[in-house]
Amino acid sequence: MSTRQPLLEVEDLTTTFSTDNGELTAVDGVDFSVDEGETVCIVGESGSGKTVATESVTRIVKEPPGRVRGSVRFKSRDLLEMSEPELREIRGYEIAHIFQNPQEAMNHCYTVGWQIVEALQIHRDVSDEEARAKAIDLMDKVGIANASSRFDDYPHEFSGGQKQRVMIAMALVGDPDLLIADEPTTALDVTVQAQILRLLDDLQEEFDMGILFVTHDLGVVAEIADRIVVMYAGKVMERGDVLDIFERPAHPYTQQLLNCLPEIGGKKGGIPGTLPDPLDPPDGCRFAPRCEHAVDACVTGDQPEEIEVNPGQRASCVHYRPGRDDSVVRDGIPDSTADGEEVSSADD
Amino acid sequence: MTEEPLLSVRDLKKHYPIRKGLLNRQVGAARAVDGISFDIAPGETLGLVGESGCGKSTAATSIVRLEEPTGGEVIFNGGGRSGATRNADGTHPNDVTRFDDRELKAFRRDAQMIFQDPSSSFDPRMSVGGAVAEMLQIHGMSDRHRRRAIVEDLLERVGLSPEDYDRYPHEFSGGQKQRIALARALVLNPELIVADEPVSALDVSIQAEILDLIADLQSEFDLSLLFISHDMSVIREICDRVAVMYLGEIVEIGPTDRVFADPQHPYTEALLSAIPTPDPRSTAEGIELTGTVPSPTNPPSGCRFHTRCHRVIQPDDVDLDQSSWRGLLNLRDALAADSVDVDQIRENFRTGTDTGATPDAVKGQIRREFDLEETISSDEMESLLDAALDEALGDDLDAAAATLSERVTTPCEERVPQRTSHEPGHESACHLHERDRSAPPNPADD
Amino acid sequence: MATKKPEQFDRVDWSELSESRRFDLSINSIGMLVATLPLALLWLYDYQFVGEREATFQAIGLSRNLDPLDYFFVFTLFLFFFYLILPLYQNPRMTRYYWKEFRRNRPAVVSLGWLGIVFVGGLIGPLLISAPEQSILTGHQPPVFLSIDEANVANCVGEVVNGRCQGTWQHPLGTTRGGKDVFAGIVYGMTISMQIAFITTTIVAAIGITFGTVSAYAGGWVDEVMMRFVDIILSFPTFLMFLLILYIYGAGLGMFILVFSAFAWGGTARYVRSKSLSVSEEEFIKATRISGASTYRVVRKHVVPNVASSIITQLTLLIPGFLLAEAQLAFLGIGDSAVPSWGQLISAGRSDLAFAPWIVLSPGIVLFLTILAFNFIGDALLDALNPEAEAESA
Repeated sequence: MSTRQPLLEVEDLTTTFSTDNGELTAVDGVDFSVDEGETVCIVGESGSGKTVATESVTRIVKEPPGRVRGSVRFKSRDLLEMSEPELREIRGYEIAHIFQNPQEAMNHCYTVGWQIVEALQIHRDVSDEEARAKAIDLMDKVGIANASSRFDDYPHEFSGGQKQRVMIAMALVGDPDLLIADEPTTALDVTVQAQILRLLDDLQEEFDMGILFVTHDLGVVAEIADRIVVMYAGKVMERGDVLDIFERPAHPYTQQLLNCLPEIGGKKGGIPGTLPDPLDPPDGCRFAPRCEHAVDACVTGDQPEEIEVNPGQRASCVHYRPGRDDSVVRDGIPDSTADGEEVSSADD
Repeated sequence: MTEEPLLSVRDLKKHYPIRKGLLNRQVGAARAVDGISFDIAPGETLGLVGESGCGKSTAATSIVRLEEPTGGEVIFNGGGRSGATRNADGTHPNDVTRFDDRELKAFRRDAQMIFQDPSSSFDPRMSVGGAVAEMLQIHGMSDRHRRRAIVEDLLERVGLSPEDYDRYPHEFSGGQKQRIALARALVLNPELIVADEPVSALDVSIQAEILDLIADLQSEFDLSLLFISHDMSVIREICDRVAVMYLGEIVEIGPTDRVFADPQHPYTEALLSAIPTPDPRSTAEGIELTGTVPSPTNPPSGCRFHTRCHRVIQPDDVDLDQSSWRGLLNLRDALAADSVDVDQIRENFRTGTDTGATPDAVKGQIRREFDLEETISSDEMESLLDAALDEALGDDLDAAAATLSERVTTPCEERVPQRTSHEPGHESACHLHERDRSAPPNPADD
Repeated sequence: MATKKPEQFDRVDWSELSESRRFDLSINSIGMLVATLPLALLWLYDYQFVGEREATFQAIGLSRNLDPLDYFFVFTLFLFFFYLILPLYQNPRMTRYYWKEFRRNRPAVVSLGWLGIVFVGGLIGPLLISAPEQSILTGHQPPVFLSIDEANVANCVGEVVNGRCQGTWQHPLGTTRGGKDVFAGIVYGMTISMQIAFITTTIVAAIGITFGTVSAYAGGWVDEVMMRFVDIILSFPTFLMFLLILYIYGAGLGMFILVFSAFAWGGTARYVRSKSLSVSEEEFIKATRISGASTYRVVRKHVVPNVASSIITQLTLLIPGFLLAEAQLAFLGIGDSAVPSWGQLISAGRSDLAFAPWIVLSPGIVLFLTILAFNFIGDALLDALNPEAEAESA
């Protein structure tokens, strides 16, 4: 996958919101990249800034009160330096978005087909008939049964899963290179979720899209991700390939998050404590106040730099600094009686 | 009766009338819960699982009579009511659905409920301590200081501090509010707690905390729990037994480990296989359910799952692969419901392609839309399908539907399946098991 | 039954606790009763034993008379104190929170200060300042620091400099044509405005909340009939109704308040109904019902408080309408000229606008500021009391 070209490179992305109580930093100097045809998952709990981070990519965060800084290079153009009209050319065309709640993302006054046609005609100069044929083709592609007769149905005649399919069809009108999917399956039932995830997988292959997928559900991540970025309180805690993160999580936060899953952990009690106040984040590592391995070095200065713990896997934790004994945190790996055994046990 | 269940639900129904017109005449009913039965033993946790709209929350509110059930019995033997026998007229003295106001109020002390949404589960204008203490006040504890002492003690037990008594809901996080909700449910010392998706709105790291707390409290106070969730992994974590609901009915019930290890009903099987496993190496292809959940106003006949089932039974002399069979059934239903728009398909061919709307192209398109191959494996069915499609192209959808209906039939839609028992306490309602009870199908072979 | 630790929830012996419902009065209700009782007795005394033309307190040598409106005003003040101010004091945490939210809106804080002045002025002012009296000789006196051509005044109270009569502190805001002191008029007008504000709010809130909650909870055809009645109320031509009553019974301030508030609660009732319906869907209502609380208790303890805090905003925005209506009627000369309201003062000065603008401007500005203040406060309350905002801040 290293032969692939980087499609999206985000560096030092910082998004702040001015509120009545002061400056709120939702995303604080975050880097990540998505290669062509690859699925990158941003994982985090509520308040981690994962949604804001992806909305900052195409600057659909509301500005003001929001403010986006840093650099977002998409096919070697910086999106943050583009004018609004230039961005509009890219949004929904080269970079498409799908959201958690398809209900809210649709206009209930128009038929579903009409909305897809409209999305199509915004970006391409096509005749009504061609647009219609293309829209039905897309509806068929995203698995809406009996597409041609459903073209003229209104959104309320579709179920939640079907609406999400329609949203995906709308996202595909521009043959996008990058699909940003913000918790697209969270509002859906598991059986429907499975359908949508499979659909995204098929479409990714067909359209050769990069997907930036935001979710809090580690089960979904394991299913679709190539690479993972773990966020907590606006900062990246750890990043790496999906196998590394699941089998050798390096950062204590990742370890504990995985431990919370009944299928993996067995360690009871969740993660004690609460998310830090985004208006007044703690010094040092953001996770330090809830971390069982926190030492003095964790609570001073900035978030620790990211250190390579395995090839391609980096964690922002002081315990991996050169000269430190990292066994304290390495021991926190779930089921880590021995690394070798663990790999084999994951096969069944 | 050696072991009397704490709660026994028998054929519980809750139908919401649908009214129309000037005189509010009832024109139908949404059958949210349509005849469910189960028992909960003292100290046991029963999970009620299903997708949204399956009626699990309505079942919960009907059991505790937050809503009046339409029919059935809810027999609650807790709170010193044990050992009662049926009256001469067949009614049960412990039937919650027949409780009068006084009995109901006493029942309220014995059965409590926890709700899903921490943000709306507390009165924003009342301190949380006051909200918990109100329960005591309602049941006649007029001593203010005693109320406060009890609540402060209880707040400590659920992991908060007595000082939190005077704080307001907006000062707490979601997880903390759910702890307080637990305190409120516990304060009357109930024997049964109905938890309606108590952790669904919480982050995974908080979920684990709350589930732990629930488990601890349950063992400490010997509570029975009816735990409602759509999340199978949560159910697996906390429940002793699990009941799977689909469209107002229980399709399978059994010990949690048995249901997870050896699901009997095709729906359970599909539901389990749809759960994403947090294991990036697992490549098992799940069972994909097609279609959407039918409306509870007009549920499918026979087995309610047959419209989406991946194991629909074929007539004895037909042996198609399931996807073609499924496609045929779907096409038949679509034709009967008049929802195949042949003109539209023609129109699309005319404008979208150069070839034009040849009958073969249109037929091919219909087959594609219903996931039917170019030619299906059974000759008889292929010719039947071809005939039906010809009729459909001739704009006679009814005739086409009739043609297909001659042979495309399944026992699943004709009779309501009975519950069959697989092993003690593990039951499911599926025709597959009724038919070959001697040889239960192995869910591993697809 | 010897319970060792009765303060634990699982040790409570419920059979011991009598189920009999004692009538449990809150401290607020007790206070309200204690305060209202003397008032009722006084009214009874006034009504039964004091002659028609005698002043209420004549027996103890005071010339102050109380009319029914005054009694009602005091009653609403008690209500206001015991069910709005006292609860704020009793729940300091919540009060601090509301105040923090409210304080963000600077104009609203200033407005609150202004209304405080109007309130205190209206309450205490008449006790300290004697009522403005007719005195033809000292008509058209200018406000302090201003002057007026000597030709316009019959008798200048202050100095006359260069043929212009200078204002004095004796009449800080000047006098009307009839020599009534404008400042005193404004202070007495404050009382009237406060009476209008408090009494109308009480009537509208009482009818609106009762009607709305009953309608919401009764449902079915009761609901249907009640809401159609609200439609009638809302489409009723109140002004014409008032004119009709005015010709039959005369137009006292009491009549004005009665008629206008009797037809103003329609919107409130409708709002309360929809709000009650949405509140009763909330999980905390279910949680209270599941605890065995009666519908009455659920409505009184949870639905009404939650509805009330959002209709406070609506009521606050209703008050300016009444004040303006009163001023308009007075200006048109339809009001009771004996009532020393701001509107009457404005209407008294309208013919002298050319040379004595203060007579119109002073009460006009005060009226304007008061109405503006109510609007600002309504806005700020909307933000501060908005439960959705609270949920999000969690």
